[in-house]
Formats: sequence, structure tokens, C-alpha cells
Amino acid sequence: MAEINPKYLELDKEMRERNLDESTPVSLLEDVKQKGRVWDDLCEEYGVDNPDPPWRITLEATCDMLAGGYWETFNVCKPKEERNPEEEEKKLDAVERRWEEDKLVEKYYEQIPFPERQLLALAHTLIRRGLFDEEELARRMEEVDQRLNSA
Amino acid sequence: MAEKHKPAPMVEEVSEFEVLEIAVRELAIEKGLFTAEDHQRWTEYMHTLGPLPAARLVAKAWLDPEFKKLAVEDGVKASLEVGIDWVNSMPTHFGTPSDYCNLRVLEDTPKLKHVVVCTLCSCYPRPILGQSPEWYRTPNYRRRLVRWPRQVLAEFGLQLPDDVEVRVEDSNQKSRFIVLPVRPEGTEGWSEDQLAEIVTRDCLIGVATPKPGKTANDPRPVRPAVNPYHH
Repeated sequence: MAEINPKYLELDKEMRERNLDESTPVSLLEDVKQKGRVWDDLCEEYGVDNPDPPWRITLEATCDMLAGGYWETFNVCKPKEERNPEEEEKKLDAVERRWEEDKLVEKYYEQIPFPERQLLALAHTLIRRGLFDEEELARRMEEVDQRLNSA
Repeated sequence: MAEKHKPAPMVEEVSEFEVLEIAVRELAIEKGLFTAEDHQRWTEYMHTLGPLPAARLVAKAWLDPEFKKLAVEDGVKASLEVGIDWVNSMPTHFGTPSDYCNLRVLEDTPKLKHVVVCTLCSCYPRPILGQSPEWYRTPNYRRRLVRWPRQVLAEFGLQLPDDVEVRVEDSNQKSRFIVLPVRPEGTEGWSEDQLAEIVTRDCLIGVATPKPGKTANDPRPVRPAVNPYHH
């Protein structure tokens, strides 16, 4: 059996110290989870064969942007000693986000397919970290919904 | 009379998930986490990415021993030949402050099979291979491949004889990897285009091998990790 990558163990320890396990369900996202129609179902109903929803790339781009910009996206496995805490204030480290995504999916969104689960986990992470709150997101979703359905 | 043009079917409703994606992005922009312009530029760049350049790189290497040597020795330089500039590509234009652009091309032989993973998250050679598949991102694949590579490859339908060594490469901050598989029998006299068609994404990750007539990836089941790794 191969040995576990030492980087993995080091980051695992760091993640545990940050209590990334502490999370509670977000009722807004639970609603989306229950009522939202996933891409696979929509494709079946409308006879569309594109494997990914049109928003998959924009979601990926959002994740990359949150990690801190163009070049940072290629450095997602940056070791701790090479990170600059002062520059990290408004960043959502890509490794942290991915680990939190794994945890949140396992806990809340396992039955939802990809990339819908990635989106739910990202929204959950942003709310949990206080980058915006649930009410703000609910309001914005209402506005977006009205806008998209106004044609 | 010519048959009336029939538009391609499209999804004619807005899902909650679509609304959520836009709302999250707009709020992040409003909070100053990134700008709309940067997001737009990055999205446009990402839309240009896909597995074709990597497939072409392999096809060229199969046809040209000198190019194969270059690919194995200097993946970044070889990528230029298939239109991928790791250092100066859009949208950075000015290179990168780090050495992420160390693309390594892993050459398989009849007795050596490479396969790529990112045990930490889901690092992937996106500039040359596009977006990673869902299964590549899962803890199930990431945790188990390094422990039981031969068995996991068998689950993908790739049964390797015992005398074939399996080597797992773990992507990281420093390096990205693609696999240069062995050229299959039955492709003698094929053109670069023909060869590139059978080099699928899964062949480039290393969980499949190229075969004449096989030009698409198999659907892969995505399973939860049975024994989650408790953080």
C-alpha cells in the first residue's frame, strides 16, 4: 500500500485546527436542494444533450476568482509557508474551498449531482465565512429570478 | 424542397441553480471579492480550453520521435507546438510569478503505466486538457488511487497484467501531468488527426488506453467514499 502524501497530512492537520467541520444546514440552500431542478432532469425533459449546464464554467471562474486571481488558480496546492496572510483576507484559498466542498457535500449535498453540489457547497462556504449572509443571498436570488423570468 | 431548419432543443426554463449561480457571483462582485471584468475575461479564457491540444500533442509524439523526445523532456515547450503557451497564455499575458507551468508528459511503455491524480484537491492541467471530470474531483478517486492503483484502474475497465508497473503521479503546486500512452496496434499509417481522435481525456489522465474506433470517454460511476477520511 502506498504511503499517504505528507503534504496531505500537513494540510489535514491545519484544516482540523481551523474547525472546518463546524457547519449547520443553510435553510435557503436546503430549499434550493429540495425544489431546484438539476441539469440532468432538465436535459431529459427538453431533449438537450449538453452534459454540463451553461453556468458550469462561470461557476468554475467564480471559484478561481475567489482564490485570488489568474495566476493563483494554478497554485492551489501552495504550502502554508508560501502563503501571505495579509493578502489572503479576501481570498478563499482553493484547497480550503475544495476540502470544505468535500465535507459539505458528504454532509448535506451527497444526493445532488455535480456541478449543482459544487454550487451549493460554494454558497454554503461563503455564507459560513460571512462573505455574505443568507438573507442577502435570498434577496438577490429573488431579484435575479424576476429578471430572468421577465421576458 | 429543402427540409425546414429545425432549431436545436434548448432548456426553456430557469432553474433555481442557475439563479443561485448568478446571485452568488453578483454578490461576490458587489462585495469586492473580484471584479466583473476579471471574471468575464477568465470565463472567456476557460471557454477556450479543452482536451484537444493534449490529444494532438500525443498524436504528434507518436508520429515524430524527435517531438516525443521534446515532449518528455520539456512539456511546456512541446505544448507550444499544439498552440498552448503555459507561460504567456491568456489572460495573464505576462507569465506567472510561480512555476506552476511545469507540465510533465509521462511516457507509458508496454511495461509501465502512468496515471494522474491530485490527492489534495483537484489540480488538473486545464490549459491543455480543459475542465476535470467529476470523478477526478471525488475523494473516492483521490484517496483510493494512491493506495490501490491497480484495483482502481481495473474498476475503470483497465485490467493491467501483473508485470506492468503502475506509477501514480500526484499533481501539486509545482507540476501538472498528462500521460503519453503507448500507440495502439492497428493505427499504422494513420494521420495526426486520426490518431488525435482516439486520445481521449481519460487516456490523457491515464485511466484508459487508446483503442482504434474508441473516440469518447466511458461514463464513469461516481461513488461516495465508503470510509471517509476524518479531518
